[in-house]
Amino acid sequence: MKWQASDLSTYFQSKEYIDTLCIPLIPVSISNESDSIRLANYKRTLDILSNELERHFTGRIMLSPTYSYQAKSDINMEKKRLNEWIKEMSNDSFSHVFFITFDVLWKKEEKELDGTLIWIPANRIDDYQSDETKRWINQQTEQISELIRSFW
Amino acid sequence: MSEKKQQVSRRQFLNYTLTGVGGFMAASMLAPMVRFAIDPVLKASTSGEMQPVVDVSEITTDPQRFEWTVKQVDAWYTSDVTHSAWVYKNEKDEIIPLSPICKHLGCTVNWAGNESYPDQFFCPCHDGRYFKDGKNVPDTPPNAPLDLYEFEVKDGTLYLGKPVPREGV
Ligand code: FES
Repeated sequence: MKWQASDLSTYFQSKEYIDTLCIPLIPVSISNESDSIRLANYKRTLDILSNELERHFTGRIMLSPTYSYQAKSDINMEKKRLNEWIKEMSNDSFSHVFFITFDVLWKKEEKELDGTLIWIPANRIDDYQSDETKRWINQQTEQISELIRSFW
Repeated sequence: MSEKKQQVSRRQFLNYTLTGVGGFMAASMLAPMVRFAIDPVLKASTSGEMQPVVDVSEITTDPQRFEWTVKQVDAWYTSDVTHSAWVYKNEKDEIIPLSPICKHLGCTVNWAGNESYPDQFFCPCHDGRYFKDGKNVPDTPPNAPLDLYEFEVKDGTLYLGKPVPREGV
């Protein structure tokens, strides 16, 4: 399910089946060209991955809108804010919470997050239409799916 | 489009004058729906057309999953949407293209996705199961068979159209 009107009515009818919340974490910056291009590229990739994941597990995963933050902001502060966000969003109805990100900063904070961090090693993609990219996306989706299923 | 809008408003106008307030309310509720239904911009979506999916020679008696991407255009943006199908040939050599979307809550089902049921489709989300022909296994969460795609074979290529729902068991 996605956080969109049509899915949400299904969600409220079938709440007991949708027990997993997935939140993509995306750092944002526009201070210099190369960094911002790199981050925007990661964002697109993460969007694709999380949508694919949602497509596999529509009936059990709620894909949250992206959680965005400034690339330069204090990670401790973000951690606090994120945990509060989770508390509000999950509201006891999700027994599994996953964060998906390319941002390695979260890796160190993993233990203090109220959920499971899925960190994907950065991969800069130049051609989204290429077969290589499609294969990579498929592999990543498979692996993340496996991981999530192991928690169910 | 502007012409159609005008038609609608002319009709609305008639409605207002002929049927008074009740008609006015009904017309204002109906008009937007009608416009959506006939708006040519929305028809620009190519997702309803037949799409080439796979060479018929690649289809075996075991279901295989094939994916294809469709440009979907709605009023606000264009996006690439990936579709997939489980396709196989049955004993009568007929092509069976099944939608992989679970009829319970929409997860993607896998052929032989569970070791204990090697000749069924399995839904990882709530253990829904389907027989090879797509019929749902009773006493599992889904209450209808997997949709069957409209299909045609042209020059040795399988084309798939819309998934069509079937009656439950
Ligand atoms: S979505 Fe397939 S069994 Fe629930």
